[in-house]
Amino acid sequence: MAKPRFTRRYKLLLMAAGASALVLAGIVVGFVVLLSGVMTTAATKQHYTITHRILDLGLRYAVRTSSRDVIVPPLDDPRMIDQGLACYRRHCLACHGAPGLAQSEAGKGMLPIPSPLAQSAREWPAAWLYYVTKKGVRMTGMPAWEFRMSEESLWSTVAFLKTLPFLSEREYREMEAAVADEECTPRMQLSGLPGRERGDLLLRQYACHSCHRIEGVVGPHAHVGPEIIDWRSRKYIAGVIPNTFDNLTRWIIEPDALKPGTLMPDMGVPPAHAREMARFLLTPE
Amino acid sequence: MPECRAIAIVISLLLSGCDQPLPGPEVQGGDAERGRAALQKYECGVCHLIPGVPGAKGRVGPALHAYSRRIYIAGRFPNEPDTLTRWLLDPPALAPDTAMPRIPMTQKTALDIAAYLYSLE
Repeated sequence: MAKPRFTRRYKLLLMAAGASALVLAGIVVGFVVLLSGVMTTAATKQHYTITHRILDLGLRYAVRTSSRDVIVPPLDDPRMIDQGLACYRRHCLACHGAPGLAQSEAGKGMLPIPSPLAQSAREWPAAWLYYVTKKGVRMTGMPAWEFRMSEESLWSTVAFLKTLPFLSEREYREMEAAVADEECTPRMQLSGLPGRERGDLLLRQYACHSCHRIEGVVGPHAHVGPEIIDWRSRKYIAGVIPNTFDNLTRWIIEPDALKPGTLMPDMGVPPAHAREMARFLLTPE
Repeated sequence: MPECRAIAIVISLLLSGCDQPLPGPEVQGGDAERGRAALQKYECGVCHLIPGVPGAKGRVGPALHAYSRRIYIAGRFPNEPDTLTRWLLDPPALAPDTAMPRIPMTQKTALDIAAYLYSLE
C-alpha cells in the first residue's frame, strides 16, 4: 500500500523540480539575451509582424477595458469641433499630420509610427480616442495630455478627430484658417485624486524626474539637478532662498525670476499645480 | 568554438559590469584622502550631506551623493574640475546670491576637496 503512494509523491516532486528548472532556465536565457546586447534599440529596425500584432492587440483590449466607464458627451457642436482643431493643430499635428499635411521630421522617424488618425478616428469609438489622448500610450511616444489640456479641450479634440476622416485637404485648410485665433485651453484644476497621489503625479507629469532623482519616482538616475529626497528638511531652495511653501511655489513657477541664470527651466506649471507640488514636497506622508 | 566564445563574452560582460557610466572628471594635483579630511575640518557637513565624511548630514545645501556624476554646480555652471575648484574657493564670486559662504582655504585644499567629491560615484 505504501509503495505506490511513495512513487506518486516522487513523481510529483520530480515534475515540480522539472518545472522549476525550466522556469529558471528561462530566466537565465532571458538575462543572457538582455545582457548580450543583441536586442537592438534602433528605431530603424522594424518590429517583427508578430510583435506588432501582439502589441496592437494588447493596446486595443487594454483601451477597451480602461475606457468602459467613460461617458461620451455630445460631440457635434461646431464650436467644439473648432476648438478641437485648435488643440489638434497645437498638439497632435506634429506627429500625426493632417489631411494633405505631413507630420514633422520627429513624427516621421518614430517606431512605432504615430497612427494615422483619419483611420483611427473611423475605427475607434469616441471613448477610446478620449482615453488614449488623455492618458497617452506607454513606450510609444504618445504623451498623456491630461495635464496639458482641459477636460473640455480633450473632448473638443475627440470631436474634431471624429470629423477628421471626412475632411478634404481644402476643407481642412479652410477650417484651420477660420480658427486661427482659437486657443487650446490648458488644464488648470485637478480633482478626483487624493492629495499625495496628485502631487506625485504632477511631479512626473511636469517631467521633474528628467533632471532630479525623486523619492518614490522611477526614472533615469538623473544628476542634472539635486536629488529631491526628504525635501522638507532642506533649508534652502537652489542655494539662494529659504525653503518655504511660498518660495517653493514661486520657484516652481518661475525659477529664473528668483535665481537669474539658473539652468532649471520654466516648465510651464500653472500656479494651482505649483502649489500642489510644493504642498506634496513639504508635507510629511 | 563560436558558442563558447559568445558565452565567454557574456560572462565577462556580466563580470565587468558594463552598466557602469563613464568615469567622472579627474582633478590634477588633488588628493582625495586629504580632501575628505579638509571637508571635515572646514565643517562642510553642517550644510551638506557628504558620503564618507563623519557627521556630514547637513540639509541646508544639496546632498553630495554621486558628485562625480552631477552635471551642474549650484544649478548654474557645468560641473568641471576648474569651475568646481573656483566655486569651492569663493562661491559668491561666481554666484553673488548664493547662500554658500566663502571659506578661506588654499588652492591646494580646494583641489583636494574637488578630488574627494569626484571620487563619489
